[in-house]
Amino acid sequence: MKVCPPSFTVKAIARKSGMCKLRVAVLMLYILFYGMIFSACTTEEKSSGQTTSYPKNIAQKAKYAGPLEKLPDGINWLTNDTDPVFASDQAKKGGTLHEFLASFPLTFRVVGPDSNTSFRSAILGNQLNLTGLHPNTLNIIPGLASHWAFGKDKRTMYFRLNPKARWSDGVTVTADDFVFTLEFMRSKHIVAPWYNDYYTQEVERVIVFDDYTLAVVSTKAQPDLHLKISLGPMPRHFFGQLDEDFIRKYNWAIVPNTGPYQIDTFKKGRYVRFERKQDWWANDLHYFKHRFNVDKVLYKVIRDTNLQWEYFKKAKLDYFPATLSQYWHIKSKTAVVEKGYVHKMQFFNDTQRSARGLWLNLNRKIFKDINVRYAFAHAINVERVIKQVLFNDYYRLENAYVGYGPYSNDTIKARRYDIRKVSDYMHGAGYKRGPDGIWVKNGRRFSVQVVYHVEEFTPRMVVYKEEARKAGIELRLAKLDPAASFKKVLEKRHDVALVGWGTSIRPHFWEFWHSVNARKGQTNNITNTADAQLDRLIDAYRDSLDEQERIRLAHQIQLKVYEIGAFVPTMMAPYFRQVYWRWWKFPDTAATKTSESLFDPFSRGLFWFDQEQNEQTKKAMRKGQTYSPVTLIDETYKP
Amino acid sequence: MKLNTLTIKKLRRFYSIKRGYYAFIFLGLLILLSFAAELVVNSRALIVKYQGKYYFPTYTDMIAGETFGLDYAYETNYRELKANFERKNDGNWVLMPPAPYNAFENDLRSDSAPALPPSWSQRHFLGTDTSGRDVLARLVYGFRIAIFFSFTLIVSTYVVGIGIGCAMGYFGGGFDILFQRLIEIWSNVPIIYVVIIISSIVVPNFWWLIIIMVCFGWMGITWVMRTITYKEKARDYVLAARALGASNVRIIFLHIIPNTISVIVTYVPFSFSSGIVALTALDYLGFGLPPPTPSWGELIQQAWTNFSAWWLGASVITAMVLTLVAVTFIGEAVREAFDPKLHTVYE
Repeated sequence: MKVCPPSFTVKAIARKSGMCKLRVAVLMLYILFYGMIFSACTTEEKSSGQTTSYPKNIAQKAKYAGPLEKLPDGINWLTNDTDPVFASDQAKKGGTLHEFLASFPLTFRVVGPDSNTSFRSAILGNQLNLTGLHPNTLNIIPGLASHWAFGKDKRTMYFRLNPKARWSDGVTVTADDFVFTLEFMRSKHIVAPWYNDYYTQEVERVIVFDDYTLAVVSTKAQPDLHLKISLGPMPRHFFGQLDEDFIRKYNWAIVPNTGPYQIDTFKKGRYVRFERKQDWWANDLHYFKHRFNVDKVLYKVIRDTNLQWEYFKKAKLDYFPATLSQYWHIKSKTAVVEKGYVHKMQFFNDTQRSARGLWLNLNRKIFKDINVRYAFAHAINVERVIKQVLFNDYYRLENAYVGYGPYSNDTIKARRYDIRKVSDYMHGAGYKRGPDGIWVKNGRRFSVQVVYHVEEFTPRMVVYKEEARKAGIELRLAKLDPAASFKKVLEKRHDVALVGWGTSIRPHFWEFWHSVNARKGQTNNITNTADAQLDRLIDAYRDSLDEQERIRLAHQIQLKVYEIGAFVPTMMAPYFRQVYWRWWKFPDTAATKTSESLFDPFSRGLFWFDQEQNEQTKKAMRKGQTYSPVTLIDETYKP
Repeated sequence: MKLNTLTIKKLRRFYSIKRGYYAFIFLGLLILLSFAAELVVNSRALIVKYQGKYYFPTYTDMIAGETFGLDYAYETNYRELKANFERKNDGNWVLMPPAPYNAFENDLRSDSAPALPPSWSQRHFLGTDTSGRDVLARLVYGFRIAIFFSFTLIVSTYVVGIGIGCAMGYFGGGFDILFQRLIEIWSNVPIIYVVIIISSIVVPNFWWLIIIMVCFGWMGITWVMRTITYKEKARDYVLAARALGASNVRIIFLHIIPNTISVIVTYVPFSFSSGIVALTALDYLGFGLPPPTPSWGELIQQAWTNFSAWWLGASVITAMVLTLVAVTFIGEAVREAFDPKLHTVYE
């Protein structure tokens, strides 16, 4: 349900953090319901046939050409093979997972024009980084590097590559491939200014000690260094020298990767198929064992949601996201579910929650008075909406930073609907109830426009409106087209905006609350908050390299944000729900703490296909035999 | 007012076409009723008697709950008040409209989620929608808005269209040719897309929508007017008027247009129904009047996404079919009654 899953690839993290830097906020805004599905798409061309047209393919591995440096002494090499595994040893290999794409991707490139589609995550999911994060403990685990070490300067990390690591074309992964990552990302031929900038501003250089030992140096000392500089490799032997033709030449190229799957066939506009590498180099490693079980993953383009649902019911798709109440409670009351062929599962995860809610524009005269802001918060009846409109499916979001582990200040509770408090605050601000029941001061009514952009939110918005009216506040609803709404909000021309933000592993405050981002367009500080004390806290948080201090500051900042009262948190769904055919099997705990889906073939790949059950079920369906319906609720990670 | 014999003849003829006549009565009643909708479908009471005093809240300012001894300062919930008074039985009473809901309030219950099916006991005669609002109330107020919208749209498009069409026919020549080409080009602008684009940038209100639709919808009637004017201006009475020194404006507005009324009238019912359909279609697509304005299109949208809530689709489609069929019947009858062949004799 979350569109912006906490991502463990360096590029994705880079994308998020850097984005804020660039203040390109649009990409971070997201819609609650659109997230679970990769949307992607393609023209039948055998990849083997395609790749031959690229001259440098399967070239001999070139030796690193630059000077080798000497590894400093006293490096304390670390690894992690002691955290619990999260896959099941019962898992069997085989089968095909059928998924849908809402639209075919415009390119297979992961940088450059048109590359930022959701299908990109399927390609990047098959590219390992130097290190990864354990999905349950969030500790560093080996990726392409088997060992790592932190430099004393807090800006260098050393890595020792796993000598077994291979590209999909059989070439060994060496330190030079990471040098090439920097060259590639800084090249103007990739037409990706954001990446050009990020890999220049954030990553200083890659040092090669020998083919399997390297260091990555960040431009500045910072906490959680591994989240920033655990790079992914780029195959120099495949790309060779980049030139102006890059964009055109590599639109549909199948670039060698290091992950478990590779695209084996596709037809533009129709489907893309990934095939598991039979002798993947990481097959037997501690954290990779028993994962990535299906032989093939087929993404088929089905544009219409209703049609996707029909495909699912005909078993032409293996699962369907059912987080939406509509699907979970109503649409799933259908024959295949009631006859037990399709199972339902609700899985509670524990991950960063989107800061979704109503963001007040403090530049508006009416919201300059803190009493009015508090009154507004007490006039929003989130509880009623959850209980009586949304099947009690959602939970109240208490704060803008929920799910960040120790960084979240869990003592903060959102202001509840309370007409009496509204009344007290409004009297405090010198307002009186007007003839229509709306608060008035000096002829000015408490009437504000609320901008939002998701059609599905209208039923709840009208309830907010009616409840606020009782409290004496008029909400004027303005449902805009997403682009128009983003523009309006980023240019700070709104009174109140219903917005949910993307998340990152650590809370970001500077973008949203620092005064340098207030009162100018295209920044994420859409509340125009400018508070000197808050600025000091945020600066200290950004400058601190000490985790305990950062946590303490994060708590103070959240409290301050609560006191300012410019954000009214609404709701969250701390789980995902899916319906799937009964021949799919999972480990005892079906997914991980940070999972966003049971079926994530490239990022987790814990599920497997049970051939026997498949045949049995299909037979039963032919004969009209039924099973008892199954609804599973996994609360392992319910906070 | 004295009608001329020809007009009386036409009206008689219309009256004799029973299907159209009854459709006219039916629709007329509905429209009249919708103007008084606050008295029939409303959450405000018609009359409240409280401590010997009478209150008529329907058309007044909000009356806070405190007025009736309740503990809140927002608008009184008259349904609860009624139940309250009945329980206490101390001479106070409330008279509610037959359907005691307005088009905006969310009647939510803790034991079930909306939409709820029709219920006589809850007085949701057509059920509630996905936000718990009364479908009947949404239908009635949506109807009123659609009627008013359509009516305003017709008046505005006809004023512009007839004006320009007449001028084209009357002046002819270069002016005619220029406007013909202009209209041909302008007609190629796809109106629905224009509205969609504009309303995705700004939230259109009622008048915005009217202005946009008039801007791109005035061309239809011009061709008809141009043709008739060409015909009429060659007639003797126009020549006579001109001979007496009448100005062009006078000739167009006092002589030509009155003589083309019978043609224009036959177009009105059909424009009327297309106005309703246009607003409904835009609302259905989410580009019409902003929520929470009651609207048929929005109800159809809800029905489409909630097939299991059959009462949504059933009520709005029935209402739509009845209205449009009635308008069509009227239109046919008018066309027949005003058919010039019945009233003129070729010399």
